[in-house]
Amino acid sequence: MSVISEAPKLAAFVRRDFRITLSYRMGAVTGLVGIAGQVLAFSFLGKLVDPTRLPLYDGTRATYIEFVAIGICLNMAVLLLVHELSRALRNEQLIGTLDSLLVTPTQVGTLQVGSTLFNLLYVPLRVCLFLVVIAIVFGLHLHAGGILPATVLMLVFLPLLWGAGLVAAGAVLTFRRGTGVIGAGVAVLGLSSGAFFPLSVLPGWLASVEAYNPIAIVLTGIREALIGGAGWHTLTTPMLELLPLAVASVAVGIFFFRLFLRRERRLGTLGLY
Amino acid sequence: MEAAASSVVVRDVVCRFGEKTALNRIDLTIAPGEIHALLGPNGAGKTTLIRALCELVTPQEGTLFTRGRVGLVPSGDRSFYLRISALENLIFFARLHGLRLRQARVRAREVLDAVGLADVANRPVGRCSHGMQKRLAVARAVLVSPEVLLVDEATHDLDPEGARRIRDLVRRRADDGTAVLWTTQRVDEVPDFAHSTTLLVQGSVVFSGSPAELAARAASDRYLIQVRAIDTGAPPPLAAVQLATGSAAAILPTSDSGYFLLVPREPSGIGATVARLVGAGFDVIGCRQAQSEMEEAFLVLTGAAA
Repeated sequence: MSVISEAPKLAAFVRRDFRITLSYRMGAVTGLVGIAGQVLAFSFLGKLVDPTRLPLYDGTRATYIEFVAIGICLNMAVLLLVHELSRALRNEQLIGTLDSLLVTPTQVGTLQVGSTLFNLLYVPLRVCLFLVVIAIVFGLHLHAGGILPATVLMLVFLPLLWGAGLVAAGAVLTFRRGTGVIGAGVAVLGLSSGAFFPLSVLPGWLASVEAYNPIAIVLTGIREALIGGAGWHTLTTPMLELLPLAVASVAVGIFFFRLFLRRERRLGTLGLY
Repeated sequence: MEAAASSVVVRDVVCRFGEKTALNRIDLTIAPGEIHALLGPNGAGKTTLIRALCELVTPQEGTLFTRGRVGLVPSGDRSFYLRISALENLIFFARLHGLRLRQARVRAREVLDAVGLADVANRPVGRCSHGMQKRLAVARAVLVSPEVLLVDEATHDLDPEGARRIRDLVRRRADDGTAVLWTTQRVDEVPDFAHSTTLLVQGSVVFSGSPAELAARAASDRYLIQVRAIDTGAPPPLAAVQLATGSAAAILPTSDSGYFLLVPREPSGIGATVARLVGAGFDVIGCRQAQSEMEEAFLVLTGAAA
């Protein structure tokens, strides 16, 4: 099975999930309502945050909405990549289709990517919509020149999240539930990254973790690029810091996923929920 | 049967799940075009063997081999995406088997037609009946014309007509050269359907051979006779029938008035018993085997016979 023969299967997954999403007619409506609610909630929260406590990015002080919009978007990406695969596999276990998928001549990697691809495409669309709404309602002054460096930084970051997602998915195969430990860990990293509040309002010890928190590193880099207009030179260091972490994360993720899958096959409990 | 020409070869397979030995040194071969019935009570290891052949379970010992593509009809009720149509489900699985979208669509329609579901192609699977979903599972299993078809208790909860349709579908595949492993607890469907049989009990093979050989293992024959008194036409009491029968056979009660179980004690027991009953003033209205030879053999070999 080559990459060329496997690639069209990804389209099959997207088509399947698109059809399933369409079958839930109220889903899209409630999603839009959710976005509107989120925008409204953060507009009120923004009034509570003292603008002078927001950090400067390349000499530019952001509004709270600009600050938090980037934090929310990154947080969505983090949650999606860490949880989507385990959610998808758990769903296949629960509806009973996991065995049927595994008996097809499809590589495990294709199943992993395929199971998540629709949401990996769909959620960024919702994120864009979210940003557009914020831009229209509150005004969003982001540097267009920072989009490319921020995107590259994000691309370096994605494998790190995917690796964590593989570990979580492997844990779902074996433990079914109880992967909340990974979710809690990611939530702590998200909170201490300064996604929703400036780190200066958090306790000192929590704020000091920032330097070792990959989410915080990426978040700061993206804000530097989009709010401060910082170029490649500013983002080179975080990219170089993240690269080995990303490689290690994917390697660890693949190792654990295979380990859990092999264990389930040995115990004969793969399709159980 | 030469293993080299076989489509399925299972050699000395052992599967243990903790303390439980699910499969204990199983040997089995299936030739192209052969329907092999795998019989056994609940928990015998039938599904484990099927899952091992699909690589969903890894045995601790032994070897498993399947030649060519494998189609699976799983035993569970839930193996489809219920919110999308039968056609969309089949297109999805066909594409996972490597078919392009156009090919997948054509092939999905072909197999839906073959299993008699063309009319409900666009109906969400969740709105299809249980029997339809079983046929759909067969359709999915034959999407890519498999050389090996593994069918796990496909008829256990279907009505007789639904079960017959499934067997006909599978038989047609076998006629085209597909090797079929058919697990079932419905022993009566085996004689006219399967070419060979393996009976599993608690993970071990207790019988392997043809359905006729299996039937020959039936330890005893039991007959259901219907008797009434010639003069009154009323069903006689058990004691009267037992007295009239003598020692040629044992007469046992049933839950139905006028019906008795006859267990011959000697080779001529049936004829002698009927003659005695008629001589004693009874009318023997009917006499037939109380259960099939296959069922009897199954019960004897699994240790469940009364």
